[in-house]
Amino acid sequence: MRVPLSCGYLLIRGESSFFLVARAPDTFALPIETNDAEVFQGVHRGDLIVVSAPEGGDPEQARMLCELVRTYRQPMVVLPKGHPGSSRLRMVISVAPAIMPKADIIRGTHPDQDVICSSGELSGLGMAADGECVCIEGFDPNRMEYLLFPPGPLSL
Amino acid sequence: MCSTGGPIDVELDEGLKGKKYRCNDCGAVFEAVGRHPVCPSCQSENVTEV
Ligand SMILES: [Zn+2]
Repeated sequence: MRVPLSCGYLLIRGESSFFLVARAPDTFALPIETNDAEVFQGVHRGDLIVVSAPEGGDPEQARMLCELVRTYRQPMVVLPKGHPGSSRLRMVISVAPAIMPKADIIRGTHPDQDVICSSGELSGLGMAADGECVCIEGFDPNRMEYLLFPPGPLSL
Repeated sequence: MCSTGGPIDVELDEGLKGKKYRCNDCGAVFEAVGRHPVCPSCQSENVTEV
């Protein structure tokens, strides 16, 4: 399935979880800060930015998270393993030309750019940038739905 | 990158192992993860691993 997506958002949701998908408007270096180092991830024009909410939540929160990365290039701060704040973080974000959700990885443990944690209901859903479209594999209309939104706050 | 994220927080158990690059356009030296690094100073993709 190919879904056209320019600078808006694609929401894919199941019964209790969702993905919010957007595209990077430009090429830039996204800073990632650890307690003793700074590394950069190359983000390229057209790359997918996917926010996963394995336990659900407000898609507007996911949209803001997405904008902090793609518009404001907000540096990401890495928490050390076992940090007490980790359990409060409910949404994960991934940036890559193609992204494959997986339910069987431990959240926050997979530095491979093309994998993102998801709920079981949405695992196996492949997403890839393809020109002005997003290619989605494994979409099951009986178990999930998708909605397209223009840029700006989501009207749900 | 599967990063547990609030607006600005991620958690990576394995840490972040970047490679060092030098920008061929502006000379900046930086550490990057991922297959296609971009210079943080001038956003150039013309970089060489050092
Ligand atoms: Zn440069």
